Amino acid sequence: MSSPPATPPAIEVTDLVKEYRGSDGSLVRAVDHLSLTVAAGEIVGLLGANGAGKTTTLRIIATLLRPTAGHARVCGFDSQADPVGVRRSLGYVSATTGVPDRLTARELLTSFGRLNGLTDAEVSSRVAWLIDTLALTSYADRPAGRLSSGQRQRISLARALVHDPPALVLDEPTNALDVVGSRSLLDTLEHLRENGHALLLSTHRLHEIEHRCNRFVIIDAGRVVAAGTRSELVGPTGDLESAFFRAVAGGISA
Amino acid sequence: MTDANQLAVDASEREGPSPPGHWLASAWAVAAFQLDRLMTRPRLAMALVGALFPPAVMFAAIRTAPLDRNMAVVMIYALIPEALCVLGLLVTMCPVVADELERGTWIHVAIRPGGRRSLLLGTFAAAVLWTSSVAVTGLLLTLFIAQLTQPIGLAAMFIALIVLSCIGRAALFALPAVILPKRALIASVGVAFLVEYMAGFLPAVVNQVTVSLRLRSLLVEWMGWRQQLPVEMMLFVDMYPASIQIIAVVILVMVLLTVACFILNRRQFPPSAEN
Repeated sequence: MSSPPATPPAIEVTDLVKEYRGSDGSLVRAVDHLSLTVAAGEIVGLLGANGAGKTTTLRIIATLLRPTAGHARVCGFDSQADPVGVRRSLGYVSATTGVPDRLTARELLTSFGRLNGLTDAEVSSRVAWLIDTLALTSYADRPAGRLSSGQRQRISLARALVHDPPALVLDEPTNALDVVGSRSLLDTLEHLRENGHALLLSTHRLHEIEHRCNRFVIIDAGRVVAAGTRSELVGPTGDLESAFFRAVAGGISA
Repeated sequence: MTDANQLAVDASEREGPSPPGHWLASAWAVAAFQLDRLMTRPRLAMALVGALFPPAVMFAAIRTAPLDRNMAVVMIYALIPEALCVLGLLVTMCPVVADELERGTWIHVAIRPGGRRSLLLGTFAAAVLWTSSVAVTGLLLTLFIAQLTQPIGLAAMFIALIVLSCIGRAALFALPAVILPKRALIASVGVAFLVEYMAGFLPAVVNQVTVSLRLRSLLVEWMGWRQQLPVEMMLFVDMYPASIQIIAVVILVMVLLTVACFILNRRQFPPSAEN
């Protein structure tokens, strides 16, 4: 897959460090001088084993955590200096959908539209548009407790898009989905890319995204160990999974 | 202009000043959501038990021995604005953050502009509405059982005390809820006991910042008991007029909610804090 034209990044992470105090009092470095960028109209895959620092990185970008050092910017807004600017420009999708069982998709999207400060008229038109565009129509008025994991994740994606953010971060969004739900969700993400959204996607399911991302960033122990397009990482033969293992073992340099 | 520059400009335009009442609308969206969450059978059953508890105690009391009006009023005060309101708020206000962390909804709320503030204020509003409704239902049933003279005046007075108790205690419980979300219930019980029922009865400056002192003082003032109060009891009430007591509760609520919002805005929850 070719790279999109060079443009200033919609998501920019520079020299990011995050340290936690462990339960035994020791300092744990979850993210270690990590840098990456995502341009508009691009999907970047953030790959790493459990505990590699993917979720921490995504949550710093989303202003949910403060970095120990370094910067995360979304559409030019710094996550520390202007968290509100970041929040207005970013949607977040996580593996746990957090969609309440009692609410319907329409009710949930309406609530979150209001939470985002949209007027009633804006909420109505935006919710209608999302339900139509993300193909939620058949279950938009059913309580989420009666829906499948895939349907709940699509509602979660709709919630992330309710304020029309130009950038999205997705933390293992296909984890709980079967192959059909997963493909459907990833097709939607590709559609969003075509519409100019910047997407940073973390996942363990490499085969699913191998041919869908413009670029990949592989991290291990909080550090970038490899980055590039699929062809740069994989070469003419081979697959992404082999490249991932080589990178984590130190075979590819960033 | 490049795509990304355009994105930044678009985002800046959206960043403009919030329309008037936007944060109120956001908080109300959360309140409606929280009230809907409270409309489950177990919660409704709990509310029913709560509302029936004071009239049941009153019924048992008047069956056991004759109760004069003043004694009945003190009993209603202890049962409803004190006990029932505190218990109701422990259930509805304490889990404001812990529930969201457990349900995986925290990140989706926290990433919204003003989401944390809206979560706190919306849950505060829902907790006050829910607990007040239960308490007022219990009050009306208790007054019916007690058959006291001038019931409308008593109902109006107790409704005012219930509302003040609910807003004051909900704001008080907001602090442990944001500081120690996973142990908010225990911490709030401790706060209720130490602040409201120990410090509140100390004849010292510290009791000035308790809701219980203000409620007791209002009860004494509105019941016209001040002149008959024994000297030793004067230490447990404040002598300022009712308007000052109400203003003191409102100021206390504003200070507590502002501090709780500030703390919640600064809180970081690592991924391991969820589930």
